[in-house]
Amino acid sequence: MINSYDIAIIGAGPAGMSAAITASEAGAKVIVLDDKKFAGGQIYRNVCNSPIEQVNALGPDYLKGRSLVERFGQCSAEKISSASVWHVSNSGEVLFSKEQSTTKLTAREIIVSCGAMERPFPISGWHLPGVMSAGSAQVMLKSDGVVQDDAVFVGTGPLLYLIVAQYLRLGVRVKALVDTTPKTNYLDSFSSLPGALNEYPTLIKGLGLLKEIQKSGIPVYKYAQDLAITGETSANGVKFQSGKQSYNLSCDHIFLHQGVIPNLNMTRSLSLDHHWSEQQLCWTPTLDSWGQSSATNISVAGDCSGIIGAEGAEHMGRLVALNQLSKLGIIATDIRDTQALTSQHRLLRFNRLRRFIDRLYRPKEDHRIPTQDTTVVCRCEEVDLATLRQEFERGAQGPNELKMMSRCGMGPCQGRQCGHTVSELLALWRGEAVKEVGYYRLRSPMRLLNLTEFSDFSHIEPTRATDTSQVQIQEVTR
Amino acid sequence: MFRSISKSTLQHIPIEINGKKVNVPEGITVWSSMALSGETTTRLSPVTKQQRSAYCAMGVCFECLVQIDGQPNQQACLTLVRKGMKIQKQVILENTDLVENGDHIVEGGTHDK
Repeated sequence: MINSYDIAIIGAGPAGMSAAITASEAGAKVIVLDDKKFAGGQIYRNVCNSPIEQVNALGPDYLKGRSLVERFGQCSAEKISSASVWHVSNSGEVLFSKEQSTTKLTAREIIVSCGAMERPFPISGWHLPGVMSAGSAQVMLKSDGVVQDDAVFVGTGPLLYLIVAQYLRLGVRVKALVDTTPKTNYLDSFSSLPGALNEYPTLIKGLGLLKEIQKSGIPVYKYAQDLAITGETSANGVKFQSGKQSYNLSCDHIFLHQGVIPNLNMTRSLSLDHHWSEQQLCWTPTLDSWGQSSATNISVAGDCSGIIGAEGAEHMGRLVALNQLSKLGIIATDIRDTQALTSQHRLLRFNRLRRFIDRLYRPKEDHRIPTQDTTVVCRCEEVDLATLRQEFERGAQGPNELKMMSRCGMGPCQGRQCGHTVSELLALWRGEAVKEVGYYRLRSPMRLLNLTEFSDFSHIEPTRATDTSQVQIQEVTR
Repeated sequence: MFRSISKSTLQHIPIEINGKKVNVPEGITVWSSMALSGETTTRLSPVTKQQRSAYCAMGVCFECLVQIDGQPNQQACLTLVRKGMKIQKQVILENTDLVENGDHIVEGGTHDK
């Protein structure tokens, strides 16, 4: 392996794969690092290597990923799988661990395309064994052919309905769907509907999933609120209110979901500029329309740039690669602009659809910002709401101060599961906008690393504060 | 209960989970092999000592930290099983003060294996 590249791409989901194809076809020297065995990202996980017989039951949106994964496999980019990137510097240095040994490489341009993660769902009891995210059900199904009978699915959003439908098609018993989409969301999203109509096949598919679930005869509880997971040492049920009635469903397994947010630990560790997206209720790297970040040599593509979905990510990966090719002098600017037209047009339409989806499945405030004193906010260090409030009242006004005083966000997940909750909580308590509150200051290593491996390096390029005078960022509104 | 709907043609390999010998489909993750074997406790919470289990299965919650072949703090959902692998639930608490060879964890002065 040579150690110097034109472009290093981190993450082989739709955005990363599409960027790699575009860049390598134009003649750039490209390397792609991905932490899984097979390329595809979460969405197209194992699409060419499914462990299950009835793979068609996973649906056409999954299966269509095959051609992208195959084209990626055939492109000339160097591909390293099962590689976990633990440090990226804005000087172009990338360190990744594979089989407990770290390799260092440098690249003139870097594309961060490490996807999305599910939004934390901090309700009472969400930390108990037996409670998992609905995305985990999909991951286990797609990569390992493992399913769970008689689970209750709770939450809102397309991914939740998709996994329930997939389970039902495969003959996996589902105990109930508890839908937390508030009634008001249907009205509030109505004004964004016309913009989304250009993408009507996607809308129809979404409605189709809900119909499929309803036709299956499983209990569906709508407009659910006042959620709580019951159980002392493990989950034994879920309590909620639906309509005028209170329910207490007993079950050993609950899958929670309320949408996805960008997986930000890498862009945050790189000290890129971020802003709070009111539309998506999450932190988002600040980028121009080419995915260019506040650091000159770093671009961000796909869902970790803000949620755009698999197809949108594929188009954005292409745009980012075209821009970097032109920056590297491999293609001329006018070629970049001509080749970008189709993807730009498609992205515009996806973003309009996104506005509608984001509004319709906007998670309820009390499912994002806990209200019960005993609800665990930080799962790693088990810091509950009452403790956080107490430390806030003792003077911890910002996320970093709160972290130092309460240990919230100090565990191995590095704030992935509590960061957004803390930003929103502090905003509420301070009576200010979330953007004023900010987020944790993150640093590499971004993954767990043993000290023997770490000590192989006597010098690691730090991430330097961005000289923002160098880059003019025009924020893109989604 | 978790169950497998994998192709029947998949090879099975022997591994050990908490001392129990099991056969699991080749190529699945450590977490899935634990789920299929009914050994779903991944670790004890370092703070409250309560049992914890995997949450996200995609590497972002770090709830599934287990001990693999003596090495602690391994993410079960990101690690694939290998023949003969020895997996143990992780017991590293706030008062755990010594790790020898990775597999003897001394907690409060008594060996807790």
